[in-house]
Amino acid sequence: MRVEEKLYTLRYKKDEEPHLKIRDPAQCLKCEQEYGTPQPCIAVCPANVYSWDGHRLVLSYENCVECGGCRIACPFHNIAWSYPRYGLGMSLRYG
Amino acid sequence: MKLYDVIVVGAGPAGSAAALKAASMGAKTLVLERGSEPGAKNVSGAMVRVDELKVFDVKNIPVEREVKKVRLTLGNSGEVSLEIKPRERLINVGRLKLDKWMASQAESAGALVLTKTTVLKLKPEGVVTDRGEVQGKVIILAEGANALVSMGAGLRRDLTSEETVQTVKEVYSLNKDEVNRRLSLSTDQEGLAVRYLFQDPVPGAGFLYTYKDSIAFGVGVHMTSLISHRIRPQDVLEEVKRTLGIQELVKGFSLREYSAKIIPENGFPAWKPCSGNVYLAGDALGLVNPVTFNGIGPAVISGALAGEYAVRGECQGYERALLKDRVVSQSVKMRPLVKELLREENMKSYISMATELSSSWISGDLSLDAVKKNSWKLFKHALLLMGALS
Repeated sequence: MRVEEKLYTLRYKKDEEPHLKIRDPAQCLKCEQEYGTPQPCIAVCPANVYSWDGHRLVLSYENCVECGGCRIACPFHNIAWSYPRYGLGMSLRYG
Repeated sequence: MKLYDVIVVGAGPAGSAAALKAASMGAKTLVLERGSEPGAKNVSGAMVRVDELKVFDVKNIPVEREVKKVRLTLGNSGEVSLEIKPRERLINVGRLKLDKWMASQAESAGALVLTKTTVLKLKPEGVVTDRGEVQGKVIILAEGANALVSMGAGLRRDLTSEETVQTVKEVYSLNKDEVNRRLSLSTDQEGLAVRYLFQDPVPGAGFLYTYKDSIAFGVGVHMTSLISHRIRPQDVLEEVKRTLGIQELVKGFSLREYSAKIIPENGFPAWKPCSGNVYLAGDALGLVNPVTFNGIGPAVISGALAGEYAVRGECQGYERALLKDRVVSQSVKMRPLVKELLREENMKSYISMATELSSSWISGDLSLDAVKKNSWKLFKHALLLMGALS
C-alpha cells in the first residue's frame, strides 16, 4: 500500500497557511549536490511531504503527520517548522 | 485579562499530570492543547505500566487489554524468541482514550482545558497563542518532543539526527475473535506486547501491541541510519512486516491508522528542567526510556513533580526530585548504553550472536565462538548496564 493511501486513514483539516516552509531554496540545490537523492528530509519523512523534481524541493505540507523529523534531519536547518493553527492538521483515533 | 497561577502547555500525559497536581494544590490552572481534543495529536506504542500512572485515579483507566505476555524476538525473521510474564500490571491502551481520561481528571481537580489553541511563544508572565495572550505566573511546558516553545525561549536546543529515532506505526482492525485467534490469546481481555530487534534493511526495533479488536505494529529506526542508507521509514516498515510475517498475521484486517513519532534520546539532565518560572516535563525534557521506549511513565511522573514544584516556586527542588525518581533516573542512565547498542555494527553483532548461539544450542552443537568474538564489547556493555541499573 502506498503512503498516500495510508494517509487516507487520518482525519485532516487543512490549515490554508502552510506550517512548513523552506527558508532558502538555493540551499536545497547545494544539499542535493552534497547528499544526492533522496536528501535527508526526504529519507526521514514518513508521509512523503518532500519530493525532488530535479531542480527544486516540492512540499506537500497537507500530507504532514507532524512528527518533526524533517526539521531535525535537515543538515542546514533550512526547514521552518511550526504546528498547524487552531487544532487544524491531522487528528488521530488510536495514536 | 485573566491571571492564572499555572499555565500548562500540552494536554498529554505530562501536561495533564502537572495540571492535576497544580489544581489539586489549589492553583488556578489553565491547560492549552493544540489538538482538537486531548490525544488527537499524540502517538506512542500502546502499553503503559499502571503503577507509574498512580497520580491519576487508575480504578477506571481505559484498558484495551491486560498484557499477560511480553515477548522479545530477535532476528530478521524472528529466529530467537523469549517470553516473559510481567510482574507488574501492564496494559494496552489507546492514546486518544487515555489522554482524554487523564485530561478529564485534571478538569475534575479544577483545571481548565482549552483545545485547538497552539502556544507560539513565552512572554514575561504568560504565553502568546494563536488566539491571543494569556497571563500566568508559572508556565509548565509539556509540549512533547517537538518542543518549539522551549527551544524558542532558549531553554533547550533541538535534537540532532544522532539523538533521534524515527518511528512509524500502523493499526489494523477486524474483530476481537480474530485478534485472539491469530495471537493465541485465550480471552477478550488478554493482551500481548512484542518487541522485535532486526538488522535489515537497517538495524532497528519493532513493536506489536493489541487493542480490543485491533493489532498495532510499528518500527523505530535511528534517523542517521535512514539518512545514510537513503531509505524511508515507511519502506523499512513494509520490508520488516514482510520478513517478520506481520503481513500474514494481519491478512484480512483493514488498516485503520498510520502515524509517526520521533523519540528523543537526549535531554535531562544535560538540559535544565526549569529556569525561573518556566518548567519542562515529559518528552520536552527527553524523558523516554530508550530501552523500553516507555515515555508515558516518565512523562506522568515528571509532569506531576513539575506541577508540585512549580506551584511552590522551587526550581531546584524540581531538579533534585527528578534525579531522585527511579523511573526518570533509569531512563537517563540507559542512554549511554543504548547509544552504544544502537551503533549499527554493535546491533548487528549482538543479533547475530544471539541467533547463532541459540541455533547452535538447539542443534545440539553449542558453540561459544560468537560470544568469544564479542567478549570485549560484551564486557564494556555489561559495565554500562551495571551503571544504568545501580
